[in-house]
Amino acid sequence: MALTNYDSELGIDPMFSSTHTDVWQRLGDCGTWWTGAQRVAAMSEVRAAFNCHLCDRRSEALSPSMVKGSHKAVSDLPQEAVDLVHRLTSDPGRLTQDWANTVIAALGEERYVELVIIVCTQYVIESFASSLGLPLPELPQPGDGIPAQVRPTDVGDVGAWVSQTVDKTLANVSRAASLVPDTEALWRDIVQCHYSRGPEFAELVWNRALTRPQVELLASTVSSLNECFY
Amino acid sequence: MLRASSEAINGEVKIGQLEDGANIEHGSALVRYAESAVRRDSDLAASRNRLLELAGPQALIEAAATVSAFEGLNRLADATGIQLDLGLADESADFRTELGINSYAGAANTKSEGSAVRADNVLGIFR
Repeated sequence: MALTNYDSELGIDPMFSSTHTDVWQRLGDCGTWWTGAQRVAAMSEVRAAFNCHLCDRRSEALSPSMVKGSHKAVSDLPQEAVDLVHRLTSDPGRLTQDWANTVIAALGEERYVELVIIVCTQYVIESFASSLGLPLPELPQPGDGIPAQVRPTDVGDVGAWVSQTVDKTLANVSRAASLVPDTEALWRDIVQCHYSRGPEFAELVWNRALTRPQVELLASTVSSLNECFY
Repeated sequence: MLRASSEAINGEVKIGQLEDGANIEHGSALVRYAESAVRRDSDLAASRNRLLELAGPQALIEAAATVSAFEGLNRLADATGIQLDLGLADESADFRTELGINSYAGAANTKSEGSAVRADNVLGIFR
C-alpha cells in the first residue's frame, strides 16, 4: 500500500507519490549507524517537536541557549539525539557549532549526520503534504537489521561542522550529508523530485508550471524566513 | 539564482522588494503562500486558494514542492555548517549586507565574504 497516496483534486504528478512512498519506507529501514526502530523513533520526535513546550519557549527567546529544560520526548533515544531532532525541526536558523560539537561528542559524527538526513527528508515530505492541506502519512514500519557502521574513506575536513567528501563536484550543500552515503541517497532522491530534476538544474530557464525565477523567489523566501545564510 | 534566472528571461527582479514579490509574476501570492506554509499560519488555506486561483493547480503543486524542498535544504545546510561556495559568495556579495543576510547565525561558518563577481552560468555559481 502506498504510504503517501495523495488523494487530491489538484492532480498531483504521480512522481511525487511514488518518490515519497519509496523514500518514506526507506526512512524506516535499518541505517548505517541507527537501527530502523531508532530511525522511526527519530521521526516520531520530529512530530513531537511541534508540541514541545521547551521548543516553543526557545523559539521565542532571544537566544535558545538561555532557556533550560527538557524536551517533550516520545522515544527512548539519547537526550542529545532528541535535542538534535527537536532543535533542527523547530529552530534551525540558530544552531551553532558549539552546540553541534556537543551533540557530535555524545552521538558520534556519523550518527549526527544520519539523524540530520532523516529529519530533513521527513520534513520535506511532511511539509509538502501540510502545504497542500493533505494529511500526513503514517510513520513507516521499522525495518530489521544491524547498522553496518561503515565510514566512507573519501571524507575529510572541508570547512564544515562535519566531515564530507573531499570531492567537490557541485554545490557544498550537495555533499553536506556525504558522510553517510546510503542514507544520503534518500535525501538526493527527494531533492531531485522536488527541485533539481537532473540536468535541468544547470539551466536558467525551466519548463515547469512555475518559471525558474518564481521557484527561486519561493526558495529565497523560505530561506529568509528560516534565516538560512546558505 | 533568483537574479540570474530572471536576467535569463530579460526580467528585472527587485531583490530588495522580496516581501512584495520582487517584481516576479504572481510574486506577491507566491511569497504569501511560502510565508503561511513555513510559519504554519492559520491563513495557509486562504494563501493556497489565492495562489490556486491566480496560477492554477500545477503551479500550486510546484510551489509546495519548492517550499518543502527548501525547508529541508535550509535545515541540512544549517545542521552541517557548510560554507557558501566561492561562486555563491561572489554572486551574493553585493546584496547580502543590504538585505541583512550577513547577520544570520550561519554567516559565521563562511570565511570568504566574496568579491561581487557574477558567474557565467549556474555551475559557476556553485564552484
